[in-house]
Amino acid sequence: MRVFGKILLLALLMCSLAVPCHAEKIVAEGSTTVLPIAQKAAEVFMNSNPGAEISVRGGGSGVGIASLIDGTCDIADSSRSIKDAELDKAVTNGRAPKASVIAMDGICVIVHPSNNINALSKKQIKEVYTGAVSNWKQLGGPDEKIVVVSRDSSSGTFEAFGTLALDGAKVRPDALLQASNQAVASTVSRTPGGIGYVGLGYVSSVVKAVDVDGVKASKQTVLSNQYPIGRPLFMYTNGAPKGLAKQFIDYILSPEGQKLVEDEGFVGLK
Amino acid sequence: MKKLVTILLLIGFIAVGAGNRPVYAGEIDLLLQKLVEKGVLTAGEAQQIGTETKEQIKAEIAQGKYSSLPEWVQNMKMKGDFRVRYQLDHGKTSDAGVTSDRNRGRVRLRLGWDTKVNDKIMVGAGIATGTTDYTSYDAARSNNQSFEKGLAKKALVLDYAYAKYSPFAWASLMGGKMKYLPWRPTDVMIDNDITPEGAVLQLSKKLGKANLFLDNMAFVLTETEPTTHNAMVYGIQGGADYALTDNLSLKSALSYYDFSNVKGRALDGSTGTNTRDPYQVPGSTAAKSGLYKYGYKIVTPAVELGIKNPLKAIANATGLSMLDIEKLSFFGEYYDNLAVHAKGTGFAGGFGFGNEKIDAWGKWQVQYVYSMTEKDSILDILPDSDRYVGTTGIRGHKGSFQWGLGKNTWLQCALFRFENINNSYSTFRRAPTTVMQVDWNMKF
Repeated sequence: MRVFGKILLLALLMCSLAVPCHAEKIVAEGSTTVLPIAQKAAEVFMNSNPGAEISVRGGGSGVGIASLIDGTCDIADSSRSIKDAELDKAVTNGRAPKASVIAMDGICVIVHPSNNINALSKKQIKEVYTGAVSNWKQLGGPDEKIVVVSRDSSSGTFEAFGTLALDGAKVRPDALLQASNQAVASTVSRTPGGIGYVGLGYVSSVVKAVDVDGVKASKQTVLSNQYPIGRPLFMYTNGAPKGLAKQFIDYILSPEGQKLVEDEGFVGLK
Repeated sequence: MKKLVTILLLIGFIAVGAGNRPVYAGEIDLLLQKLVEKGVLTAGEAQQIGTETKEQIKAEIAQGKYSSLPEWVQNMKMKGDFRVRYQLDHGKTSDAGVTSDRNRGRVRLRLGWDTKVNDKIMVGAGIATGTTDYTSYDAARSNNQSFEKGLAKKALVLDYAYAKYSPFAWASLMGGKMKYLPWRPTDVMIDNDITPEGAVLQLSKKLGKANLFLDNMAFVLTETEPTTHNAMVYGIQGGADYALTDNLSLKSALSYYDFSNVKGRALDGSTGTNTRDPYQVPGSTAAKSGLYKYGYKIVTPAVELGIKNPLKAIANATGLSMLDIEKLSFFGEYYDNLAVHAKGTGFAGGFGFGNEKIDAWGKWQVQYVYSMTEKDSILDILPDSDRYVGTTGIRGHKGSFQWGLGKNTWLQCALFRFENINNSYSTFRRAPTTVMQVDWNMKF
């Protein structure tokens, strides 16, 4: 029996040596809205799974989807749906983007905390962003020039805001363009006449989120589609998620992962 | 889990569709809303299932476009445009100096296809409204058809059909009846509707901030019996498109066109304004009327300066957003027929400003061109047919304004005011004509 046990131990040792001891590695890239979720989830997941390596990068939804199509990332984080032109390119590249919804988000319109405006209609938001209105007094606010802050065109938040809030109209050319949600919030917090838009997770005490069409952004109003500028957050993979990517996405969708989503200020699906 | 599987099967059934009818996202939303109301699903689960189902349908539609069609169809791109025009021609058209107006409705339709034969070869073809009456100056230079002749149907003609071989990114060879014209900032010398027949070798090279190009072309003007030579044009154009700064660009080119075997013969599509008779074949006493007296060897330099957001700083300082125009450009070209000693030069110059693209409501562009072409500066089968019916020996103005009506549709108004300076088109010399065109354009 002892001899058998030694042989078994030796066999197990040989098997473990035969299996390459390398960590499985994936790259998640894209939306700066999804970025804090992906970063926090990756940190917690890797702590619980020492053999896993998850590299998380920003750059914008468009960048992430382009990288998935080119095969340079495993997960494309996106705060907007993949476009038809991107799907066509994916097909010609032999790629099959598959969407997994990991959370919901409300795009909040933010102003400086000193601004006495607490609510705006979608029509007013569109008028401000397209240049039809240029002074806060036209909206019942202070006599101050409106400083419009927006996102660059690679941003899914920019695309979603343009579709949901502006009905596809072009943002006024003198808008200050920022590269991330954080940068937008930071700019508005330092600009008394400023207005911007950020994901729900980026609203903090340094800015004030206004009600839109009389609805405050919250989990309940976003999930029920009452809040007019709500949107799903995606992780796209090439085909159905598998391997480490599947494990990671499954973790985010688990109760623990969804709590983490809500801790980051977004709307969980559970 | 069992509940989720049941719901997915139900949605799958709707998505596939009894009888394969199209899926409507609204049906899925209605079902999910009911399931949330009945407490079968949470709002979050409904959002997740609904969104992922719609994404899957979108992806499968994209896959479906490619999986069941032949490769050449998969690689085919189709496009076209449609235009309806009101045109007023106003001017003195008789020796008695009587002013008359001609009011016309006109229509133009163009449909085109490009498809990849393989990674290096593509084929393009297009049909359009037009005429094959080669005796008319319109045949090569216009795709318009007028509302006339008792509601008669209009002809569709082969507008272009060509193949393009691109062995390298920097070189391509095109042949056929081509959708190609050498670059020039205006259509004074060559009408934009011309689709030349022959071959073009295009070479390009990026050098720093400059994109260099060299086009070598050979076009057939007329093909005759074996005893005489074909009339041809051999051309070469070298140029550069240079980004001086992020907002300043300069494009320039020098072109040379040698119209071979034109002297001493007639060409179809001519307006008859180049010098003709008297001409005699050496050694013969018989005059041959209607034949070109001179050859045409035309050198033409051209330049265009583009400035993006030229008044942005002023617009921001004053708050006048109307001053924030996207683009301002200045351009000019010069023509010199080296084969003649007199009345062989011309030029065109102008400016344009407004939005770079007319792709939405309210986008606009304005352009103005002044041009003068002496009677033998340009071969008279080529010039823009809207300028004094495509003749040479004229000078005048063209102004145009475009206004976007929405995506892929826009309005254009153009005004031409030209006078005859030294051509034989009108027996009433210096009879200015005014042409006004109002176009509703659509592309798809």
